[in-house]
Amino acid sequence: MSSTLEIRGLCKSFGGIVVADSIDLDLSPGRVLGLIGPNGAGKTSLFNLVCGVVKPDAGSIRLDGQSLEGLPTYQRARMGLARTWQNLRLFPSLSVMDNLMLGPRVYSADRLVDVLFRPAQIRANEAEARDRARDILERTGLSPIAQSRVQDISFGQQKLVGVARALMNDARCLLLDEPMAGVEGQTYALIQKAVRDIAASGVAICVVEHNVAFIRDLCDEGVFMFAGKVLARGSVEQLIADPHLTELYFGT
Amino acid sequence: MDFVYSILIFIGLFVILASSFDLVIGHCGLISIAHPIFYAIGAYVSAMLSKQSGMPVPLSILCGGVGALLASALVSVPALRVSGDYLLIASIGFQLGLIELAKHFHEIGGAGGLTNIPSFLIKDFGRESYVVLVLALAGVTVLFIRWLTQGPYGRMMTAMRDDELAFSMLGRNAIWIKVAVFAIGSGIAGIAGGLYAHYFRFIEPDQFGLLQSSAVLTMVVVGGMRTTMGPVIGAIVLQLMPQVITFFNLPPSILGPLQGLLFTGLVLFFMFVRPQGLLPAADLWVGRKPLEGAGHSGKEARS
Ligand SMILES: Nc1ncnc2c1ncn2[C@@H]1O[C@H](COP(=O)(O)OP(=O)(O)OP(=O)(O)O)[C@@H](O)[C@H]1O
Ligand SMILES: [Mg+2]
Repeated sequence: MSSTLEIRGLCKSFGGIVVADSIDLDLSPGRVLGLIGPNGAGKTSLFNLVCGVVKPDAGSIRLDGQSLEGLPTYQRARMGLARTWQNLRLFPSLSVMDNLMLGPRVYSADRLVDVLFRPAQIRANEAEARDRARDILERTGLSPIAQSRVQDISFGQQKLVGVARALMNDARCLLLDEPMAGVEGQTYALIQKAVRDIAASGVAICVVEHNVAFIRDLCDEGVFMFAGKVLARGSVEQLIADPHLTELYFGT
Repeated sequence: MDFVYSILIFIGLFVILASSFDLVIGHCGLISIAHPIFYAIGAYVSAMLSKQSGMPVPLSILCGGVGALLASALVSVPALRVSGDYLLIASIGFQLGLIELAKHFHEIGGAGGLTNIPSFLIKDFGRESYVVLVLALAGVTVLFIRWLTQGPYGRMMTAMRDDELAFSMLGRNAIWIKVAVFAIGSGIAGIAGGLYAHYFRFIEPDQFGLLQSSAVLTMVVVGGMRTTMGPVIGAIVLQLMPQVITFFNLPPSILGPLQGLLFTGLVLFFMFVRPQGLLPAADLWVGRKPLEGAGHSGKEARS
């Protein structure tokens, strides 16, 4: 089966710090891959490289067979790449609903000429996006707070809004950076279910997470990263049972 | 009476300038203070077209607006491709450079200015008609900007200001939005320039310099950024205040510096005491009615 995201020989260093050391990695449709590794292993950097936030020193990245080389972030998103951020990055001046409204690959008002001269099309696009947003809010249990400001909701809910906003893209490949950090209780189950549902629809997903129980419950497979290298790939059980990896992880 | 008309015209023109500048600097978050150069381009293009080729004034004013709109891209496209911060420097360079250039261009009047610009409406319908035209266009501008910023485009500008990286990751092209908004704001300023030229019938390069920039900036800051009425109130207050001062019959040696100090003093005062301006903007963007959909939850959150 061909992979949705195909990373080959990806290298990047910041000054002396190597964050990606010839990484090869594949994400397959419908599969959830857990990315495990200690702080500073280069997990977020890998996401940044894939998204075009950081330019690689070498290597190639393909999404559904198409090279992403040199493309700006927004074009990668339009090709079906979506992500969440470790530090949330929601839009504080917008309501939960409006945060989501900006998420579709094609936004109602991307082109100013359309705004000025094709109001009917804008209205139709807005209505369509709103229906989609309502549906996603419903599925993630966020409907009751759809009109709240993002600062006024709990941290767990904010994380969930980040996931929900990424879902608006209808992405082919979804990257989640620590969706569970600081989240507890029922939100935990909601995020689990949301991610499983998306994977079931054929999306390739990669989750960075320090919460090992979450990774084990959720992921089909795991990858262990250390100092910019992919050291091992296998079932999450295997990875966490490996004494060598555990040692690297806890730095003992 | 002419004196009152002039003040009203100035108020109308500065409402247009301040509102369109607020679109650029407030709503879109583009740091540039070169707004008056697009006012100048509109004024010069319209004046030259009507004077040299006898183009009807309404058409020449429109061409002035289009000229300013296109000229803005000369600054914004190269600058914004580098980075957002670059725009401030590039636009000031453009503003001061173009003013110097105009001073040495005798075909457009040089440093002495361009005289005998064709008038419009006034001969047939009196000065009142022009006052009405300018004030009506000021109203249209304010309503247009409110419409734009409360619609999906405004939602997009708000998100872009909040977090440009997260914004790009959703598939939105920030550079193009900035170029487009800068162009629209500049085009509106260009129209105001044409309106100015055909009323006062004289323009000179020096009047579109940094003093003018600081005046427009002061209006927006004092009135309140990112509000519909803030720039309007700012424009009115700052146009009337110098007139009020002249009533005190102070000697000209004091009057001149006093008016200059007014802008600086007001900006400093507001920055320290009331940075949000007379009318503070809401910290949550709320779209206009039809955008919000018919959902029941819409109203609860507002309360
Ligand atoms: N833009 C940057 N410039 C310089 N150094 C950077 C940059 N981004 C990341 N780094 C460095 O690269 C290393 C890897 O960082 P990264 O954020 O990818 O780690 P991580 O695996 O996500 O860790 P964590 O689990 O703490 O989130 C760190 O040492 C970090 O300081
Ligand atoms: Mg990280």
